[in-house]
Amino acid sequence: MKKLLSALLVLMFMLSAVAMTATAETEGGTVRMLVNVTGGKDEEENVLWAQALGEATGLTIELEKPASDYGNVLMQKLSAGESYDLIYIDASQYANLVEQGALTDITDYIENSEILFNNVPESEWEDLRVDGRIYAGFNKRELHILVNLNKVMLEEAGIDYTQIEPTLDGYYEVFKALREANPSEDFYPFNTILSENWDLQPWMASQGLKGGVVVDEADGQTYVPYATDAAAPVWDWLKKLYDENLLDPASFVDKTTDMRNKLGAASQQTAVTVDWAAWVGLQNANAASGGVSTEEYEIVALPGCQTPDGSYMLHKGNASLFAIPINASNVEGAIKVLEYFATQEGGELLSLGIEGHDYTVDEDGNYTLTEIGASHAMDHGAPVPIYKDFVNPIGMNLGVEEALTYLDYASIETIIPNESDYKSIVGKWGISIVRGEVETLEGLASMREELVSMGICDK
Amino acid sequence: MANRALNPGMIDKRSVRRQKLDRMRRYRFIYVLMIPVLVYFLVFSYYPMALGIFNSFREIQLLGNARFVGLENYRTIFSSPVYSQAFVNTLIVGVGTFILQFFWGLLLALFLNELRHKLSRSFYQTVSYIPNLLSWSVVGSIWITLLAPNGLINGILDWIIGDGYRPIVFMSERSLARGIMIFTGAWKGAGYYAALFLAAVVSINPTLYEAASIDGASRMQQIVNITVPSLMPTIKIITMLGVMGMLRNFDQIFVMQNSSILDQVRNLLYLIYTEGIVQFKIGPASAAACIVLLATMIISFTVRKLIGYDQGD
Repeated sequence: MKKLLSALLVLMFMLSAVAMTATAETEGGTVRMLVNVTGGKDEEENVLWAQALGEATGLTIELEKPASDYGNVLMQKLSAGESYDLIYIDASQYANLVEQGALTDITDYIENSEILFNNVPESEWEDLRVDGRIYAGFNKRELHILVNLNKVMLEEAGIDYTQIEPTLDGYYEVFKALREANPSEDFYPFNTILSENWDLQPWMASQGLKGGVVVDEADGQTYVPYATDAAAPVWDWLKKLYDENLLDPASFVDKTTDMRNKLGAASQQTAVTVDWAAWVGLQNANAASGGVSTEEYEIVALPGCQTPDGSYMLHKGNASLFAIPINASNVEGAIKVLEYFATQEGGELLSLGIEGHDYTVDEDGNYTLTEIGASHAMDHGAPVPIYKDFVNPIGMNLGVEEALTYLDYASIETIIPNESDYKSIVGKWGISIVRGEVETLEGLASMREELVSMGICDK
Repeated sequence: MANRALNPGMIDKRSVRRQKLDRMRRYRFIYVLMIPVLVYFLVFSYYPMALGIFNSFREIQLLGNARFVGLENYRTIFSSPVYSQAFVNTLIVGVGTFILQFFWGLLLALFLNELRHKLSRSFYQTVSYIPNLLSWSVVGSIWITLLAPNGLINGILDWIIGDGYRPIVFMSERSLARGIMIFTGAWKGAGYYAALFLAAVVSINPTLYEAASIDGASRMQQIVNITVPSLMPTIKIITMLGVMGMLRNFDQIFVMQNSSILDQVRNLLYLIYTEGIVQFKIGPASAAACIVLLATMIISFTVRKLIGYDQGD
């Protein structure tokens, strides 16, 4: 009898231990995440990153990060009916997936969450609304694209960048001066990726034209401002730059990587590009890590041309997001993760990385990047997190602070599902105009016609 | 017991069936070995193919229900100028690449066969075959770099023309776009065809050449009258292989396209990718894939008949 009681007691202890373990594991439940840029930089760091996120949120995080071809993997996983609680998507995928009815409407969760509602600028949520409803939260805060200039080359050409006249003519003079100072055949003062329609906003601002698709308030029809006759002066200006060897002809075929390499300290084959605010800092940081001093190389930022009303008009990146598919099993857990991403602590995990691995904090609260952290350049998915009051404890790269002063001039373009068609059509006709293959107005008419025929806009 | 008269035809059929069963029993181990291969093709080829055909008649949502829409997806494709253009591009680039690659490979094989020095023959064979081993990411990057405004080709033209030469942005020249795709495609695959041709050339009976030589035939006459006719079986196989793969070119276009030339080179597979994967329009993309399948079958069947593939030599 005694033995039986002892055995029962042991069994009870074991069962309660199992029950406690089970409770601990499922307290907040498991959140399965399919991510692209977010998380660690390798498999090992992904595990650490998921652990850190799990500890902070009280959830068990299962992180899946395909090595490449994310869009393909995402589509295959979703079409196979695989269940995730959070999936990383970009703005174009967001539009497509909302259209497919594949995402959970989280408007009520957001409006009832103090963290999500108060920690994220309201304008960011507004940008995500589709028919008044919101279907995703944020991975990071998107920055803007603006003019990146090589300050040292400008000085060598006798130009003080703060004094550049913010007009098309003003920049034309800058490019001419740069060309005279650098007659090398491999050097072109200006490079922009016309084949990808990247990024004409700082120049189109001179005519007050916004990129992407816009609704005409007069008749409610959509149109592409860059394809209107009002854009002709900018296309003519680009043609003039090309004709006078001021615009790199490789702009017709280059990718953004090529453009960045040409502006980089190692090659300096161009002096002016249009790129993300973060790249101002990255170019400077890369130069510094290569032992190049700021006297030899420094990139600075300007907002481009003034609009007719004396303001500026910049393009803010379309959001990178986390959405909850309709077959998610732990919506509450997923919301908890989104809430954490919108806090200072969550922002540190998304930018600096994992404490003790990417950075350390001393007794006085000073943050220091480890060697690994420095090589990860404070980017674990969100160089600038979505939390509106986020403070980077390490500080920003050289030039970024100045670039961020122009953020208020930036706004996103309307999210459209067939963004790639829009870019290729505007790029194709734009290049034809710049090369002189068609007259500007004729090219713009053809651009409009093709945009309408592809269902991108109404007129 | 009724004595039934047996029909001789029935006896034949029964004995044939029995023989078949006996053979199957005898070779059962080989049949068992075939099972994994059959399962592989069923799971990874025929099931996805059947699913694709089924999906081409449905409007599919990534998560949630699909709806039968009959021929709607096919109507969408046939009424779309983008698909028509892509079909034309697919055929032009596909046929052009095959023809150029075929003759390039054949000439290369004949050239290699003429080389008497073993080392130089191995060297040229290896060099010509290497591009076939590289992926399109590598080959595409090489050609994009060579054709860039500051690339090798422009460098040579600059050296020839001299002052006042303005670099040509080859990869944005719409009139050259298809030609570049055809040339680079053939450049990559010519070594492979040459290897196939060469394997056939070296197996030609040398006594034929000796006899021709004694009869006073020149080397060129020997090539035209002995080598090329002897290659007919190989030519037929290569033609069939080439035709079947003609419409399956995706990687090259994916790597080498850009906005300036996209509508000149965008083929059906690339369009299926952008519709199906990027824009999640699975129904029309599946319908387009079925059309590619059907077109491949029709072209292959026609070419097979035209070249007399089934009639031996």
